[in-house]
Amino acid sequence: MSSVIEQIEQQIANLQTKAVASNTGKILKIGDGVAKIDGLSEVMYNEMIAFPGGTIGIALNLEEDEVGAVVLGESNHLKQGDEVKCTGTLLSVPVGNGLLGRVVDALGQPVDGKGAIESTETYPVERIAPGIIERKSVDQPLMTGIQAIDSMIPIGRGQRELIIGDRGTGKTTIAIDTIINQANINKVGIASGDPDFRPVYSIYVAIGQKNSNVARTLGVLEEKGALEYTIIVSAPAADAAANQYIAPYTGAAIGEWFMANGMDALIVYDDLSKHAAAYRQMSLILKRPSGREAYPGDVFYLHSRLLERSARVSKDHGNGSLTALPIIETLAGDLAAYIPTNVISITDGQIFLETDLFNQGIRPAVSVGLSVSRVGSAAQQKATKQVAGKIKLELAQFRELAAFAQFGSDLDAKTKAQLDRGARIVELFKQPAFNPIPIEQQVGVLWAMQNNVFDDIDVSKMVAAANSLRDFLSSRKEALLTSIREKAKIDDDLTAQLKAAVEEWKPTFA
Amino acid sequence: MTQNKQIKQFAKQLLKMSVEGGDLSADRVDGVLKALDKNPPRHHIAVLKAYLKLVEREVAKSTAIISHAGVIGARSVELISKQLSAKYGRSIVPITREDPSLIAGLRVVVDCDVYDSSISNVLSTLESSLS
Repeated sequence: MSSVIEQIEQQIANLQTKAVASNTGKILKIGDGVAKIDGLSEVMYNEMIAFPGGTIGIALNLEEDEVGAVVLGESNHLKQGDEVKCTGTLLSVPVGNGLLGRVVDALGQPVDGKGAIESTETYPVERIAPGIIERKSVDQPLMTGIQAIDSMIPIGRGQRELIIGDRGTGKTTIAIDTIINQANINKVGIASGDPDFRPVYSIYVAIGQKNSNVARTLGVLEEKGALEYTIIVSAPAADAAANQYIAPYTGAAIGEWFMANGMDALIVYDDLSKHAAAYRQMSLILKRPSGREAYPGDVFYLHSRLLERSARVSKDHGNGSLTALPIIETLAGDLAAYIPTNVISITDGQIFLETDLFNQGIRPAVSVGLSVSRVGSAAQQKATKQVAGKIKLELAQFRELAAFAQFGSDLDAKTKAQLDRGARIVELFKQPAFNPIPIEQQVGVLWAMQNNVFDDIDVSKMVAAANSLRDFLSSRKEALLTSIREKAKIDDDLTAQLKAAVEEWKPTFA
Repeated sequence: MTQNKQIKQFAKQLLKMSVEGGDLSADRVDGVLKALDKNPPRHHIAVLKAYLKLVEREVAKSTAIISHAGVIGARSVELISKQLSAKYGRSIVPITREDPSLIAGLRVVVDCDVYDSSISNVLSTLESSLS
């Protein structure tokens, strides 16, 4: 009990006894999480404002007569005439390793009931992205564990790769798979004791989602043992628009800490369509002029300043990276809508998921023709390049030929062979959700595909054959897989070993 | 231009006419009010309300409201006024108000700026730091 008294005495002693100067204002009107304030003559743009009852807000509209501010959190207790104060600081959130395995809200406060977060450092939510001098080119791979992506649309550390598609096409699944794969790689890498191994920590930002969806994601990550390497920032649909607006920036600030401290991080923004809608809501209430689709004029800047913060920085500036996987939901596959085109132009490529492919059972429903990675090929492992170099072209040709083949039955032998090969590749890339495949297994199977090992197997049995080969390699040829992982390229020795392994496997698959 | 903007602009012009040598002049304000009464503009009440708001803001800029709990000497008030005038570079007129809710100490308000050395402020800071 005496320690508590001492603590309070200490606190009183610390308090200043001289006059405290503050710049204040009064609430003129408040509603829908937005307050119009008279006064605050010295407030800065994006400055934190203290409302009564410990509530905070952000000054967003600095007008001639009044200040427009968004209230973060509950605003029901605020009323006209209440005094507000400038704080002189920008909104900051706790960062660091202490957040791993935790679920936090848009202000970095824990919402998972696991107690306080152990963190001594804070980072500002809004920050200028690294400049040209600080950056380094993207040349290290980030494996998603999804064969279709790792082989055809490779992603590098520090890249921004958009995941875009209609609702229910598996956008979130791709992001979660990638997070799970990072955890799997981290476990193997840390266990190997390799001093050069760089783990990838993941941040999943849920914007405007149902709480049940966030809980399901959390459950999957926990079940797959990926939560210990992951931080979830949650601003669900029930949260105020201001919280949904700030959540991705909070996630970026958390990710920047890893980047600035020589670590690699992956951040998933799920999704930026809802983020733009939340910003539109806020802007309309703030009476900002609206433009196309009622979005404010700075909606491009909203996403560009967020995604520019993902980078790979040089040794002198932190030697880390922040890879971003923003998600955009399209309506009826319309890629030419306002927000999709904006984010496509900001990012370094996109993975487009097609509803038709999804409904045909081709999952992940990656559209090869419309998906691209602009910088990832420089970061792709040599082994993957060796075995998957031509696959994208073959698959794209197959899709085109398949469309023509519908009109006639008389096809020449070459076309038939191309169609047959394409059908096999499509089957090979089918992969169940939350089941990322290690890169060495991918290389093994793709090598078999490249060397026509599956040609005499019925197309309907391709998935089973690929699974069987993977099981065979992981259970019987562990040394070979380790060599592929460590060498990261296929030399003559590995080719011979792969050939022998495949020949050994073939009779086991009936 | 919206009606609201026109009213605000007109009120600003009226305020400009009410200022003499950088300070608000009571005589000029009186003159403006008489002129408005003689030739009422469109949206007379709205114009007057906007004008009142601007005048209030202008008055607040040159007024120090000194709230105090207990007694405050004339010398202290003069000193506060002098120091604030020097800080803001304009003449600051002190107005004293007794406020027992402060418990002890002073609270001086000049426009948006608040200088608080009251016990109630110390206690509320303590309360927020403990919560």
